[in-house]
Amino acid sequence: MDKLKKHKKFIIMTMVLASVFSSILLFYEPIYYLGKAGFDKSIAPRLLYWGSQGEDVKNVQWQLVKWKYLIGDVDGIFGPDTYRAVRRFQQKNGLKVDGVVGPDTAAALGISLSEATPASAQGVNRQGDEYLLARAIHGEARGEPYIGKVAVGAVILNRVRNPNFPNTIAGVIYQPLAFTAVADGQINLTPGKDSIKAARDALNGWDPTYGSLYYWNPATATSKWIWSRKVTLKIGKHWFGL
Amino acid sequence: MDRKRWWIAPSILGLALILSLAWAYSEYQTRQELGVALENHYQRLFFDVKKHVENVQVNLSKAMLSNSREQNVLLLSQIMNEAYFAQDKLAQMPITHANTANTEKFLNQAADYSYNLIQTHLDGQPLTNEQRASLANLKQNSAKFNEELANLQSELANQDFTIRSLVKEQTEEVEEGNKNIFQATLTSIEDNMAKTPELIYDGPFADQMIDREPLGLDDKDVSVEEAKKIAREFFGNDRVEKVTSFEDGENVTEVVIPSYTFSLKQNDTSRELSAYIGVSRKGGHVIWMNNPRPINEQEISIEEAQNRALSYLSEKGFDNMEPNYYQKYDGGVLINFVNKVENVTIYPDLIKVKVALDNGEIVGFDAAQYYLNNHERDIQQPQLSVDEAREKIRTDFEINSTRLAMIPKGKDEVLCYEFKGDYRGEDFIVYINALNGKEEDVLQLIHNENGTLTF
Repeated sequence: MDKLKKHKKFIIMTMVLASVFSSILLFYEPIYYLGKAGFDKSIAPRLLYWGSQGEDVKNVQWQLVKWKYLIGDVDGIFGPDTYRAVRRFQQKNGLKVDGVVGPDTAAALGISLSEATPASAQGVNRQGDEYLLARAIHGEARGEPYIGKVAVGAVILNRVRNPNFPNTIAGVIYQPLAFTAVADGQINLTPGKDSIKAARDALNGWDPTYGSLYYWNPATATSKWIWSRKVTLKIGKHWFGL
Repeated sequence: MDRKRWWIAPSILGLALILSLAWAYSEYQTRQELGVALENHYQRLFFDVKKHVENVQVNLSKAMLSNSREQNVLLLSQIMNEAYFAQDKLAQMPITHANTANTEKFLNQAADYSYNLIQTHLDGQPLTNEQRASLANLKQNSAKFNEELANLQSELANQDFTIRSLVKEQTEEVEEGNKNIFQATLTSIEDNMAKTPELIYDGPFADQMIDREPLGLDDKDVSVEEAKKIAREFFGNDRVEKVTSFEDGENVTEVVIPSYTFSLKQNDTSRELSAYIGVSRKGGHVIWMNNPRPINEQEISIEEAQNRALSYLSEKGFDNMEPNYYQKYDGGVLINFVNKVENVTIYPDLIKVKVALDNGEIVGFDAAQYYLNNHERDIQQPQLSVDEAREKIRTDFEINSTRLAMIPKGKDEVLCYEFKGDYRGEDFIVYINALNGKEEDVLQLIHNENGTLTF
């Protein structure tokens, strides 16, 4: 009887330890994949996402209609219906379900994405900046009201124009120790449509912060230095400053 | 039976232990490799910064001595390059902004100032005494900077210190700082840079450009209540249910255009989204408005949208506004309008209007540039005729349209002939100064299905 009890203890202990180890193993995987997926996306040549327009979108819609994922017009505008249809398609075909048509999804759809601009100005466009800024906004301010998102985008752009900071959007966003969302990899999440819209508004000049260069969340800010900044206004949970 | 099975559990445990050790070791190795790669990268950046600053210093010394304009242009362009490189690489190192802000500013301004001096040289003017004094100042600063970097370099060679360890230390102990030689040196450089006298010149990174005052506002102070009323009337009194102020900080009046910012709750209960608006504290002008409502399918044409935007502007008191470029995105169209005075297009007076293409409602308005730049202008008569200006441009540039325009140049404005046309299949705008015939700017236009961008 005693022996049997001991025996049981052993088996239980073994099970517990084994599950602890396997959970550690499992726990590590998703983070690794999160980073990897994000990286793949950042070097993709051209992406179609919510708000995209043009011939390529028409091609995607045409294919989705053909395969009955989309019921609606082929109008060349990536709207809510197309977004949902793309997600359904990605789910059915074992692709990453993010509602963005990148090289993988395009290949599965059997189409190739063309360059957006004519040959004379090959590759000169604003899409890269737009998408990078949208990702930064999404990582830093996805729970904020719309204007708080625009404000975060505006701060990044104000930094680009200020001599105390790097002179490109990527330089500002990826400056070490500048943004927590960059350090912890949240910047690699797929931006929501609000973040993309906010990035476009910020790039087009809207600045609800009137030239502010910093923002911080009083609840989570760890640096004392940030409190020595001049405080301008509060939008959502963020204080903005000069 | 019990005797036979007692070893099962320990051996499973043992196996698990061996597996986890193997896994941990491979993780450890990967980590080591990544760490070394990162450290190598940081070391390279550090040595590069040192080299670039060295080159800035040496070239500045040469530029001060050299008496030939041609030589000086070459030297200054090298200074510009090296200073931008140093700034770019410094900003990639894991140092907190508090420890590099002034240093980055020094490098940016050194580059920007050099570019400005190159332009003066190309205009045929020799260096003035003030400019020479500024160069001497820059040189002194870069020499000090370089000396500190050299000290740091030899310190780094002598002790076991990794730059990447800064990442951890700085996030944890920002306030204490000065924990090691690296940080101490940076702080000393930073303090030194803060004492740099202001450079007086005309360029995007000059202090005068950053601290400039808006020209287009009245002097009258407006209270919050008045501003709320203005916001309500601007958006449409009957559409607004409630106006809420954003919380102000104590330095709210130190921004470029000090303003009250409100969110507007709309009457229409089917719309949960608020619209937002900013009203200037001086003069009570609406600086910007944004209504982020979702936009349905396109019902109206770009032309129709443009007409609605035009009548909206004249309703708000902006007459003589001329539509310029448009950009279609997120179901709306953003149209740039610029002021037109006596047949001269005034580009600095810019207002952007966003029209929803589903019902033609105005969902965005941005007049920040307009109020920053608008003032009573004394527009001079052009000294050149169109034909004389035309002769300054390549003959194979096919011109489609010509007009007079005022374009921004630093903090000033210059009157130019604007030639829009096409060269080898690409679209450009060339600006020829209408007073002295100098080619002031060339812009390339990039068209796509959503509109036009200038580069």
